[in-house]
Amino acid sequence: MRRFAISRFRTSAGACLAALAATFFCASAWNSTARVDAAGESGEILNYASPVEMLFSHDGTQLYVLASQSDEVRVLNAVTYVPIKSIVVGHSPRGFSLSAHGRRLFVANSWDDTVSVIDTQALDVIATWRVGAEPSSVVEDRAGKYLFVANRISDDVAVLDAHTGAEVKRLLAGRGASYITPSAEGQRLYVTHIYPNPGPERTPPESEITVIDTARAEVVDRIPLHGIAGVFHVAISADGRLGAAAELHPKNLVPLAHLEHGGAFVDTLTLFGADVGGKSVEIPLDELDRYSARPFGVAITPDKSRMFVTCGGSEAVLAIDVPHLLRYLRTHRGPYAEDLAASANYVIARIPVGHDPRGATLTPDGRRLLVANRLDDSISVIDTRTDRIISTILLAGSRQLWSMQFSDRIFSAVNDRPNGKPRCSQCHIDERHRQDSPMDLSMRKQVVALRRGEQTFYTARYSFQGQIGCANCHIDSTFDGLEWDLEPDGFGRNIVDNRLLEDIRDTAPYKWNGGNPDVPTECGPRTEKYFWRSETYDDVTLADLVGYILSLPARPNRWRMASGELTTAQERGKELFERTKDKFGYPIPLANRCNYCHSGPLGTDQKSFDVGTKKPTDDSGLFDTPQLTNIALTGPYLHDGSARTLEEIWTIYNPGDKHGRTNDLTKDELNDLIEYLRTR
Amino acid sequence: MRAGLLMLATGAALLVLIALCGFAPTPQQAPGVDFIVTSAPVYKPLAELRGEERFPSGAHLLLVHNRKAEPLVPDFAASADADVSYDGKSVLFAGKKIASDPWQIWELNLQDRSVRRVVTTATDAERPLYLPGGRLVWAQRTPSGFDLDSSDDGRPQKNPPRNPTADPGFLPLSHLHASAFPDAVLQDGRILFEAGFPLGRSSTPELYLVYADGSGVESYRCDHGRARWGGTQLSSGDTIFTHGTSLARFTSPLAHETPVAAPRGEYAGAIAEIAADAWLVSVRAAADEHYAIRLWRPGAPTMKPEFAKQGMDLVEPAPVTPRERPNRHPSGLHPWNYANLLAFDSRLSREGDLKTASASVRLEMQDANGKAISMGTAPVERDGSFFVKVPGDTPIRFTLLNRDGAVVRRERGWFWARGGEQRICVGCHTGPERAAENRVPAVLLHTTTPVDLTVPPKPVKSRGAGQEGN
Repeated sequence: MRRFAISRFRTSAGACLAALAATFFCASAWNSTARVDAAGESGEILNYASPVEMLFSHDGTQLYVLASQSDEVRVLNAVTYVPIKSIVVGHSPRGFSLSAHGRRLFVANSWDDTVSVIDTQALDVIATWRVGAEPSSVVEDRAGKYLFVANRISDDVAVLDAHTGAEVKRLLAGRGASYITPSAEGQRLYVTHIYPNPGPERTPPESEITVIDTARAEVVDRIPLHGIAGVFHVAISADGRLGAAAELHPKNLVPLAHLEHGGAFVDTLTLFGADVGGKSVEIPLDELDRYSARPFGVAITPDKSRMFVTCGGSEAVLAIDVPHLLRYLRTHRGPYAEDLAASANYVIARIPVGHDPRGATLTPDGRRLLVANRLDDSISVIDTRTDRIISTILLAGSRQLWSMQFSDRIFSAVNDRPNGKPRCSQCHIDERHRQDSPMDLSMRKQVVALRRGEQTFYTARYSFQGQIGCANCHIDSTFDGLEWDLEPDGFGRNIVDNRLLEDIRDTAPYKWNGGNPDVPTECGPRTEKYFWRSETYDDVTLADLVGYILSLPARPNRWRMASGELTTAQERGKELFERTKDKFGYPIPLANRCNYCHSGPLGTDQKSFDVGTKKPTDDSGLFDTPQLTNIALTGPYLHDGSARTLEEIWTIYNPGDKHGRTNDLTKDELNDLIEYLRTR
Repeated sequence: MRAGLLMLATGAALLVLIALCGFAPTPQQAPGVDFIVTSAPVYKPLAELRGEERFPSGAHLLLVHNRKAEPLVPDFAASADADVSYDGKSVLFAGKKIASDPWQIWELNLQDRSVRRVVTTATDAERPLYLPGGRLVWAQRTPSGFDLDSSDDGRPQKNPPRNPTADPGFLPLSHLHASAFPDAVLQDGRILFEAGFPLGRSSTPELYLVYADGSGVESYRCDHGRARWGGTQLSSGDTIFTHGTSLARFTSPLAHETPVAAPRGEYAGAIAEIAADAWLVSVRAAADEHYAIRLWRPGAPTMKPEFAKQGMDLVEPAPVTPRERPNRHPSGLHPWNYANLLAFDSRLSREGDLKTASASVRLEMQDANGKAISMGTAPVERDGSFFVKVPGDTPIRFTLLNRDGAVVRRERGWFWARGGEQRICVGCHTGPERAAENRVPAVLLHTTTPVDLTVPPKPVKSRGAGQEGN
């Protein structure tokens, strides 16, 4: 009896201890998760990893995560997701890929124009190669002969010697060339671009998928994407018969009177390959009352049963039943892109994930999908059979700032969520060597506010039915190369070109008519009323958003020499920019001098002028003087985008010299002026 | 004793564990919440669309707690149509202080039971619904039935929105010579209302949407045909409604309704969602019985009795719980008494696309007596586009005409555009599933000035006047 009592006591005590331990364990996990948030709230995390892409090592043991904001490749255990190493690469890495044999990892560093070459055995950078302007994606051919690098600013694909990094040649791609996907056999590369190719005024945007033969290093096809502006990832099925590109289908030519019925954007995929009859077919991802804003990443399971699409603005992943999709296309006549009910025939699940999901990677067996939540510093792991999130991998912030603040703190937590119920499985917190922060509190807070502002910028949740967000028209916080017909001015009136957001802090007022005195006005009531068409931000959120926008720096200018000196042509152009007399010796009136309106470091006097570009559809000829920041990137030009190039501003749209005295210049002199302007 | 304590401790620890791990029941999701219901000796479904009294023998609101009811506002001669505020602290309702009063809009504070009149009108004001931003919408009796009206709630705004939906005060939302009756406010801020189909003409009940400033009126879905009314939006975003003898739903992906496999019965109208898997429905087995409140778990073959009262119809269940506040609609209306309408491609229609564009389009409006008045015609471009300036806040409809002035296609019903509204129609009855193609409509390449159809033309003999049909 006593033995029984003791036994029962032991059993009870054991159960109690187990329960308490489990309670503590689970609570720890909750706390650990909460600590990440709390750290964010208190400003302890000064910088962020911002994962954008992921890859599995060829042997499947390691997961490489491209951390775009902390300039790293994070190496994790591919099973447990425990961090193994962090490898510092160049500035703002945007794309990476493994070599054919898997022993090298190539990283495209977009802001310092380099490719980092990482030895995957040593997990160290073994070389850094100079490449073109704003490299965004890099792929080696299967033979290991060439390395192909998509350059966003120079709109091309550089072909490098894969052993030395020496450039062999360049291939013209679409404007804003950014993402390269190899075919299943590696014989073809599919290159997409984020800005539409230049085209006639007030016509639908045109984009392309540039197809490159890897053996010949030649462009062999350009798949036209009619009406598309903004193409992101491509996925190719394992059997090579189906390709899919995630893209934006804007409605910029239709007055933006309301958002319902796809009023501003439709989010689509273009399918191509043998499975769709060798043609390209555009299919919508949206629904009647809910949008799949900003599709970005695409992945097709090895058995081609499922396709997954990350939707950055909607903070969701769509699961598409591929057989259903193909059956639908066989049994229904197109076009499909304007039919918001079409997606019901193939989209079978919508899986909520974190902020701004980007790259999507399948495990080699296709049973799990990993999604990089860029603005949450997390990776969602989705079971591809159930279309449910089974765990979320939390990534730490910037290595450098992290170490500066907290020394060797390493943090990783995984929350398994079977049946949607949180359950901790493992976490690892090492707070040894914690040190006091050298940063003052205000700075810490600002950084956190900036991240919140960035999340607000990239989400579509504030717009009517979640259709659009700031990043729809300001792709990667830049611009979209489109002209829009906004409703308040009347239909078809005051067509306006979209402007770059970089370094705009000191360029008020805003809008082409100078009608908005500050960014809060632009982003607050005006956006709510005429863009989002729905209740938007509280004051704190608006302040965070404005803070983020005003924090956007100008990207490095690729036309300016590293020394800061100007080339001879640029010097000649500078003289023309600053001249006070024309070629015939006559004084140029003050208001007709380039540097009168385009004055100061940003190239604007922040006033409005009539430069003779008023159209019959414009209410006024007075337009805000645009800043010249990275002007070379931001075509088309003029208030309504009527000038496709900088040259056209003066050769076509300045017959009366109202936009500066330029009609006395030769073509060469005009070229010099443009060469100088490109350095601004 | 010690063992017992240990068992107790074990149990407590397990409870903590369960709670921490998320297995504890969420109180708000558990069935059994308090709800308010309208109790009436006679409830006449759809009487509102005929302009008749829904509760001809009177009605009273009951607060049901643990299946026991108490009068919600006992000193009212009649009360109905409860709508619980987003914070769950107050209730809008239609009430009569004395029996001879018209229905008026009142608000009950659930904490101190104080009541205030929110809206004072000369005729019946019924079915009030909270709108975000300190406003409300209700049905106002008119000679034609009911109109949708809106106003501020009469309370000073603690945090006035930067861009209020409309100026404080009264705002008529619907402009028809027929009944429009509000059902619900959707999460996207639009008002779901029921009216006849075709809008402004027929008595087949249909569900429509309109923004909180009265703009953007349109059918929820265009698979018209069966009568549907009593719409409610679920937390999932689906909208549930009734055909009378069955329930059905609208979902975001589909352009048509889908059936809800609910037990057969006669449904009074809107259901109330008290949990993701539990609805309160007002239903009766046959026409000679009274409506009672039943609990149904979607998918279950039967419903459980929740609350019944002998000799009474119990309708319009409203859970007394906080709920998510819909988005406020920021009105972008211009200060005009007219509207600009752009038809993107009038060839397009669910009823069959026209192969060629019409030559012109004629606008008609209804005068105060409901008589159709031709307001003139505007040319239709080869791509099917036209751009017209139309009178605001009045029933209008378009008729497409061929070169000879004969009717090619005519809108079956009427709609309205708010003064100051600028709107684009993708086609002529294309349905909400159809997005516009991205191109500049030809009419805007010719002119950005709409053809003014706000003033009736002087009478002239029309070549095609005798050829029109209905």
